[in-house]
Amino acid sequence: MKFDTERRWELIDKISRETVNYGADKTTLKTILAELTVKPLTGIPFAVAVLYGFWAFFNAFAGFFTDGFFVPFFDNLWLPWLQDIFPLEGSWLYYVLVGDPGATNSFEAFGILTSGMFVAIGIVLPAIVAFYLFITILEDSGYMPRLAVLVDTILHKIGLHGFAVVPMILSLGCNVPGVASTRTLETKKQRFMMMILLSIFIPCGAQLGVMLSLIPEYFGYIMLYLLVGFFLFGYLLDRIIPGKSPEIMTDVPPFRLPTAANVTRKLWVKVKGFFTNAIPFVLLGVGVVNLLYLGGVIDWLSSVLEPVFTGWFGIPKETVAPLIAGFLRKDLAVAQLSAIDMTGFQLITSVVIISIYFPCIATFSMIIKEGRRSGGILKVLGGSLLTLSTVVFLWGGLLHLIGMVLGVR
Amino acid sequence: MTILLMGHPNVGKSAVFNRLTGANITESNYPGTTVDFTESYTFIGGKEAKIIDVPGTFSTEPKDEAEKVAMEILKEHEDAIVVAVLDATKVERGLYLALEIMEKNYPVVIALNMWDDAVKQNISIDVDRLEEILGVPVVPTVAISGEGISNLANKITEASRIDAEKLEKRIENLQNEI
Repeated sequence: MKFDTERRWELIDKISRETVNYGADKTTLKTILAELTVKPLTGIPFAVAVLYGFWAFFNAFAGFFTDGFFVPFFDNLWLPWLQDIFPLEGSWLYYVLVGDPGATNSFEAFGILTSGMFVAIGIVLPAIVAFYLFITILEDSGYMPRLAVLVDTILHKIGLHGFAVVPMILSLGCNVPGVASTRTLETKKQRFMMMILLSIFIPCGAQLGVMLSLIPEYFGYIMLYLLVGFFLFGYLLDRIIPGKSPEIMTDVPPFRLPTAANVTRKLWVKVKGFFTNAIPFVLLGVGVVNLLYLGGVIDWLSSVLEPVFTGWFGIPKETVAPLIAGFLRKDLAVAQLSAIDMTGFQLITSVVIISIYFPCIATFSMIIKEGRRSGGILKVLGGSLLTLSTVVFLWGGLLHLIGMVLGVR
Repeated sequence: MTILLMGHPNVGKSAVFNRLTGANITESNYPGTTVDFTESYTFIGGKEAKIIDVPGTFSTEPKDEAEKVAMEILKEHEDAIVVAVLDATKVERGLYLALEIMEKNYPVVIALNMWDDAVKQNISIDVDRLEEILGVPVVPTVAISGEGISNLANKITEASRIDAEKLEKRIENLQNEI
């Protein structure tokens, strides 16, 4: 026998009256804080303070390990040692593994064992440990969903409805779980929209970390341009794609004190994942690019694509190599870009293009996997590629135009 | 024996799962973090049992893909015991799902999780009375610290199916007593 909805609630009501007793509501510091963090007037300053705290913590933590330890280690010990003992100088194997024999720092050597190891362990590892540690504490304390509600409220005020803020925030850690979490959205349209917008415009934790470590002076501009793109294209897609995008409701959990055990466990899972899933891809990325150089493919691609790169996007043709590495790892691509000689504005443009031209392989496979559930693989794949290419050309080209109009270099 | 952990998003199913199995899946104070299911094995009452951490769902009528996954799992395991994990500060909401599952004739145990939060918020729940009315074991738990988990594990073997008609009568009789 089954009850209908109304009857079920009636019965529950009776049970609850018999067994549950709600005492006087206590106003505690927790409930006051809970209230203050979601109201725009107090919530925005609070969010700014949290972000500032993150910035300060990140710089202190990643700076300590990267500049204080890994840079001297890789430049003064590791690189000279490898250059010294590695045989076959001048061979292709030397070029792929060690890179430039005359390099004086690990960053510009471009070998798998030199630049690859340095980027993976010296730069990205401290960055993601700092990033995930902070995010995990924010997550476990219950602040993240509050930030989501706050952002949602602000979006509503400027006329943007139905954006799923939770997958957005998750994507800042890694796009892969971000895309997976779109499964909690109600309509196929919403799922497709969020999947594609996230994977194009939201840089992942590793990329954010590398940007903060290597090009902090441009970080703000890049993020601003990406977020404006996110909402602008979101607005357009919402108009173009048929279907509904209903309001999104999020449950806001209570504030809780994060437990050390859970924070360490989560951090450990992520760091372990970084060693097994990310480092091999960073090294592979360096290797692939080096082999393509040796085979002349990069030079050929650079000259073929030069008109598009310099003419349309206004960036040097040398950015082709990082762009190829970017298929595997965006963090590596950003690190490679920062070693190329170009103007500040060109660097901003090329990092924006690295972010939006294609999701990394891992995210792309997740989109394909989820696409099966969200309206068929061909539709999702076709839609994504169409949106991707449109966005890259329009949004990337527009930035070049902005630069020309403003006369910045 | 298969045991399904079911409940609303963010009531601590993953935390209960970790405590019961000694597994290491991530717990988040964040609704909707489990969108796929995780399973693990443990011993309950001397017998090996498969435990599945089912994605959070509000009712047995799925509204999104994650809830669809939850319902598929429920349907696939017709002989499973369901541990309905409730947020002790929002008993009514959780009971709705628990009732739905009980009506589908699954043996159920109820875990009143986040019991410590309920205590802090001055909410008192008469566990014995609740057990008596529902006819299934009810166990207060605090999964993050592990309180009540061994008690929950013991009660899993006592999970029982209920007769919805008799349940309705019991509830109606309450009304008469007042």
